[in-house]
Amino acid sequence: MIEVNGLAKSFGDVQALSDVTFRAENGQITGLLGPNGAGKSTSLRVLYGLVKPDAGSAIIDGIDVIAEPRSAQSKIGVLPDNQGLYVRLTARDHINYFGRLHGIDENVLEAKANELIRLLDMESIADRRVDGFSQGEKTKVCLARALIHDPPNVMLDEPTNGLDVMTARAVRDLIVELKRRDIAVLFSSHVMHEVARLCDQIVIISDGRVVAQGTTDEIRSQASEDNLEEAFIKLVEAV
Amino acid sequence: MHPIRVVLGKELLDGRRDRRALMSAFIFPFMAPILVYAMMTAMVNLRSQAEQTIIPIVGIEHAPHLIAWLKEQNVSIEAFKGDPQAAVRNKKKDLVVIIPQDYAQRMAKAKPVAVELVSDGSRTDARPAVSHFEGLIRRYNNNLASLRLIARGVAPEVMSIVVVEDVDVASKQQRAAAALNFIPLYIILAAFVSGMGIAVDSTAGERERKTIEPLLINPIERYDIVIGKWLAASMFSCLGMVLTLVLCVLAMSQVPLEEIGLNFHVTGNQIVLMIIATLPLGFLASSMQMLLGIFAKSFKDAQSYIGILTMLPMLPFLYLTFSPIASQDWMYLVPLLGQQILLSEVLGAKAVPLIAYFYSAVSGLVAGLGLVMITARLFQKETIIRG
Repeated sequence: MIEVNGLAKSFGDVQALSDVTFRAENGQITGLLGPNGAGKSTSLRVLYGLVKPDAGSAIIDGIDVIAEPRSAQSKIGVLPDNQGLYVRLTARDHINYFGRLHGIDENVLEAKANELIRLLDMESIADRRVDGFSQGEKTKVCLARALIHDPPNVMLDEPTNGLDVMTARAVRDLIVELKRRDIAVLFSSHVMHEVARLCDQIVIISDGRVVAQGTTDEIRSQASEDNLEEAFIKLVEAV
Repeated sequence: MHPIRVVLGKELLDGRRDRRALMSAFIFPFMAPILVYAMMTAMVNLRSQAEQTIIPIVGIEHAPHLIAWLKEQNVSIEAFKGDPQAAVRNKKKDLVVIIPQDYAQRMAKAKPVAVELVSDGSRTDARPAVSHFEGLIRRYNNNLASLRLIARGVAPEVMSIVVVEDVDVASKQQRAAAALNFIPLYIILAAFVSGMGIAVDSTAGERERKTIEPLLINPIERYDIVIGKWLAASMFSCLGMVLTLVLCVLAMSQVPLEEIGLNFHVTGNQIVLMIIATLPLGFLASSMQMLLGIFAKSFKDAQSYIGILTMLPMLPFLYLTFSPIASQDWMYLVPLLGQQILLSEVLGAKAVPLIAYFYSAVSGLVAGLGLVMITARLFQKETIIRG
């Protein structure tokens, strides 16, 4: 379970977060919506243990991220905004590297890597260097290395951004599969129909604060709009 | 597996696959010995040529006794015709000797005779031959003077009132080592050149490719990450130094130094000692480069900073060249200077106090570790993940 309470953070004069509170339950998909610069990535980075908030708390499976960042980090799998890869390593090298950084035993690492490679349908590219991979192939490598340690919580920062239809669908299928495994999935997105279809809970962030949260229906009725996109725009502009 | 080992393993794999960085890292250890060989061979040839130069002489016929004496000294002589000054100016000849027409008459009257030596003072390559010939004439003069004194019943010793007697405390080996000052310089440069690729790639490169954010989300301490990267860069750096050292010594052993009376012999022990003396420098060089690399936002940025850093080993080299000082124990504690002194001394087969190895190792490692800790502190900053 992922929880943040009253997060506030400023970078110099810029108030990135002023009051962000939400939670993502196990076995549920929670969508983080908001315009660019609203504070989605900053909230996520607090949860990754990369950014210390000025106020508020971030808790993962009962562990305080700020007090014990390393234990909290071992409970999460992350597809960050920056999907950088090492151009001279193969897809499998990436998976192994991150698996070892998580302390996975060498004896089981290969089997785990193979399982993920199958799940993400990347057998044909597994032993190729990632230099020259398509955006979709790169995203798959990033997903595989994020999931190698079977994290009970998964956070994805705009996972379908820039993907073709097929890969985007594969990513959505994966998100559903993670939910089925009772994992808490938190993801940010700009794609309304994707959010409407997948998410059990939606959190809308604007200007550093949460302006609405609930199921799709609750959000729509809160804004008295039939369409999620209209509801989103209305809620964001009301701030 | 310890996280340091995981990071080290990944960086070594990544580094091995980086062909271009490998090329630029290891072209130096192979170039340096070629340079050493070429320079030393040229030096030897110049000196032995000085003794073999054929001396062009104008007016051989005027001084048969001098010519005979020169031939006895194994000097090759040729008769010269034409304009001596033009020949020297056009570099056709290194020097031309002119024996005046009145040589025999003045000699008979026991008057001083001027033998003209035409040379070009700006030509360094001709200088050995010129000074060699000057020395010969001086000896001939002394011989004749002694004979004339004896003929007048005076002991030749009256001419020798105060004489200089050379006592050179440098062993022949050391004199060779003085000429070899650039081998330590090359080894130290190798420390900076060979690890640079990994040091920059694993810091500035990691930021530029935006791989640093996913890396830092893993549950491992930043110190472990930085130390793993440091060890990887240091291993490449040390490998470069050992290669440069061994190849340079091999190249030196091929130079016919005995032709100029120098003796160069390096034992296996000395090589091991030199390796011990220099390896800490690999760790220091890598830590400097990583620190600069983490300040830089891109690979290119980092390379321009590090280019300047590579000038650093030149400083102790210049210091030692222009102010030759007796080594004192504290000097071994100064990173770069200490290693350079130690290397020259070991190469010169001079006895080096054991404490010097300790100092040199400690100064390199402590300074390196200090810089690594600063780098790790910078890794803790939130701004590190921003491009």
